[in-house]
Amino acid sequence: MRRGQLLALALWIPAVAPAQPVAVADATGREIRLAAPSQHVYAAGPPASVLVFAIAPDKLLGWTRAFRPDEAQFVEPRYAALPELGRLTGRGNTANVEVVLKAGADLIVDVGSTRPTLASLAERVQEQTGIPYALFDGRLESTPAALRALGRLMGEDARAEQLARWFESELASVKQRVARVPEAERPSVYYGRGPAGLQTGGKGSINVEALELLGARNVAAEAPANLVTVSFEQVMLWNPEVILTSDPNFWQLAWRDPRWQATLAVQSRRVYLSPHLPFGWFDFPPGANRLLGLWWAGKLLYPKQFDVDLRGKVVEFHRRFYHRVPTAQQLDALLGEPGVLPP
Amino acid sequence: MSARAAIYAAAVAALLVLTAVAFAAGRYPVSPGELLAVVSAKLTGSRQTVPAGVEIVVLQVRGPRVLAALLIGAALAAAGTAYQGMFRNPLVSPDILGVSTGAALGAVLAIFLSQDVFLIQAFAFAGGLAAVGLVYGIGSRLQGHDPLLALVLTGVVIGTLLGSGIALLKYLADPYNQLPAITFWLLGSLAAIGPKDLAVALPLVLAGLAPMLLLRWRVNLLALPDDEARALGADTRRLRAAIVAAATLMTAASVAVSGIIGWIGLLVPHAARMLVGPDFGRLLPLAMLLGAAFMLAVDTLCRTIAPIEVPPGVLTALIGTPFFLWLFAAARRSW
Amino acid sequence: MLRVEALEFGFPARAIGRDVSFALDRGEVMCVLGPNGGGKTTLFRTLLGLLAPRGGAVELGGRPLAALTRAEVARAVGYVPQAHSGYFAYSVREMVTMGRTAHLGAFSAPGHADRRIADRAIAALGIAALAERPITEISGGERQLSLVARALAQEPRLLVMDEPTASLDFGNQLRVLDCIAALARTGIAVLFSTHDPDHAFACAHRALLLGEGRALELGAPRDVIRADTLKRLYGVEVQVVPIEDGRMACMPPIRR
Repeated sequence: MRRGQLLALALWIPAVAPAQPVAVADATGREIRLAAPSQHVYAAGPPASVLVFAIAPDKLLGWTRAFRPDEAQFVEPRYAALPELGRLTGRGNTANVEVVLKAGADLIVDVGSTRPTLASLAERVQEQTGIPYALFDGRLESTPAALRALGRLMGEDARAEQLARWFESELASVKQRVARVPEAERPSVYYGRGPAGLQTGGKGSINVEALELLGARNVAAEAPANLVTVSFEQVMLWNPEVILTSDPNFWQLAWRDPRWQATLAVQSRRVYLSPHLPFGWFDFPPGANRLLGLWWAGKLLYPKQFDVDLRGKVVEFHRRFYHRVPTAQQLDALLGEPGVLPP
Repeated sequence: MSARAAIYAAAVAALLVLTAVAFAAGRYPVSPGELLAVVSAKLTGSRQTVPAGVEIVVLQVRGPRVLAALLIGAALAAAGTAYQGMFRNPLVSPDILGVSTGAALGAVLAIFLSQDVFLIQAFAFAGGLAAVGLVYGIGSRLQGHDPLLALVLTGVVIGTLLGSGIALLKYLADPYNQLPAITFWLLGSLAAIGPKDLAVALPLVLAGLAPMLLLRWRVNLLALPDDEARALGADTRRLRAAIVAAATLMTAASVAVSGIIGWIGLLVPHAARMLVGPDFGRLLPLAMLLGAAFMLAVDTLCRTIAPIEVPPGVLTALIGTPFFLWLFAAARRSW
Repeated sequence: MLRVEALEFGFPARAIGRDVSFALDRGEVMCVLGPNGGGKTTLFRTLLGLLAPRGGAVELGGRPLAALTRAEVARAVGYVPQAHSGYFAYSVREMVTMGRTAHLGAFSAPGHADRRIADRAIAALGIAALAERPITEISGGERQLSLVARALAQEPRLLVMDEPTASLDFGNQLRVLDCIAALARTGIAVLFSTHDPDHAFACAHRALLLGEGRALELGAPRDVIRADTLKRLYGVEVQVVPIEDGRMACMPPIRR
């Protein structure tokens, strides 16, 4: 045979070779077996949607909630128009299992907590539907492993490996910069949730995972590892130097209310509002989308060590994870929203 | 001093002591000297000599919160007392006509629509009034039934309907952001109360209190069967409408700023009735004193026993129930 | 002072009685006899203005009942219902003082004068010893007397009493009847219902037999309470026999 024909043969064989079954252990240790790499993935919650969409957007069956117009502009229209399928996670489901079956899912993925309750829920859905249900850890540091495992399950190993390596390098870069910040230069931070800003996350709560990754001093560290209410007196006692929030109502309130004005943060004008398009940057949904939040918060807390081009980071992340580079106007709008950056 | 007068005196004394303790207690350290300095400077209009933080804590945080606790406790107790007399039923709480459920629906809707604190309170207040308006409008038009039974049944039905609205909104709400905010609002808390909230709630509660005080003797007639009261010359329909309006105003204003705090409107009227008997004119002031004291005690504990806030509804049930059982066992009177 | 003309009474959906006419003057005692469900209570509620008449007219002191306010009616007519246990432990004095409602302004509480009138009513009924006791802790008969005192505190010209002797022991029944007779002597008109025809004989000037929704008989008790009328009213055979002093008594037939 001539070399050209041999080459053509070599290329043709893998294309028609029968697909190999895949077996991957998910984060709960359950083995997920597929007869062939998944082509139609149902992402059961927003963190899962982000990962699946990043690896292979054409294999995502739909979103858990339809995009609002301001969110939809950041992905291509054909992806924005994917159907709304609802949630099927442990946190209250809105999905109709029959809809998931009808949509032809061959793999269900959820990314978040991997506690036994949720693992058993995953097992139950798998038994009920006959569709393998893979559960991965949603923490930022576990994202590369989740990406790799998902890549194997979807037959997109190369792509997933690329993403995972990039994510790892980004996390490493963040950690290196954080390591160079002396203790004395780390401000105390209060993350306020709710319209009155009096809910916050204690040490180890997923809401402040990004803060802890950044080595920031969460003033509420003495609180338990979930969302709690605190009183004004407690906040004033803590007297945070920086206030972060994801709630625009609270961000506006903090400037006007004398009780918030008594904190160092408001007095030194260090109250910031996290961007939220198309997925939140800082707290929710608790997925890979929070990588941008690490750069954003890092820049706000440690401007010297985080002398990065935030716009560039946004462009890079959007290109890799959302498959669309934001326009200059979109970037201006995203980063120019009042409260996002220091004036 | 008669036994009754001694009871009132003891209640007032307890309230004053509790208030002093509440002003002195809190996570932020304020010494009694600083406390007095702030209060006297405010009263005399002279300059503050204490650190700015202390002044803010006393005048903007702790002061309004203590006063709000007194106000809300008194309002819920008054509403509960009036309703227990009006419905002739010791198991009635201020929410029997749906004011709390309506307020909850309003607040949950506002949170679902991502509104700010002021609008959440406004929606809650409007929701409470609208719910009772609906219940009263329908219930009082049902013919051929005992008027009270008609009101209670309508209240239960509408309350269930509103409750299902709340459940639907919780279902549709974003689970990471809105749902926790909804959950926290429904648990109730005085943590966010400031001078502005107090300034709005106070006149509304007083507006509800005024008719109750003016009609305090006539309200006793509602304890009689409707025919008897009417035969004695009372316009029971108007009397009931006035009491419902007054109690609703007070309760809606309280729930709008503090969320749902249960048990006070149910337990305090009982305790007061066991101490001074059922005459509304004697009962109302004592119930308000006891309600204010109870709410203040609970809220002070909620904000001091841990760095995080404890939901007041939990403490009112934990403290109130055994205390009530003790009172019931120790009292010699019946209702 | 009470005049009833061709009264048709009942509920919007259902007529209970018709064609009832009578007049009652000061100091007159009229007893209404009738079977259970015969309409006695509905008639009384209509006469008190608690239920709108379906037809006919009721006049109180020469004025149509419908034209009077609740308070005006209450100042003229005292209602004594059947005693119930009550939900709340008001004292007898507090309960009797409630009778002063119609004389007070909407936002007023009883004053000294009101309390004196209430105390006088309590004394008139001979229950002064019970004045501070809760009504939930006294006997049925004492409670009934308290309700009569309450009605008296209204300073009425007419008393309407719905089965005031029901569920009272024999002694208390007689006490209440004595009370009715004494009140009538002071010039108050009394209209009361009872199941026992002997009560009519004991203290009523006239008796109204209410059966089948109509006034079957109206007149002096000795004239209208007869074996045949009682048979028509209650469906039982009784004997009405004269006893000493021209008085009459009802004898149920003795079966051995």
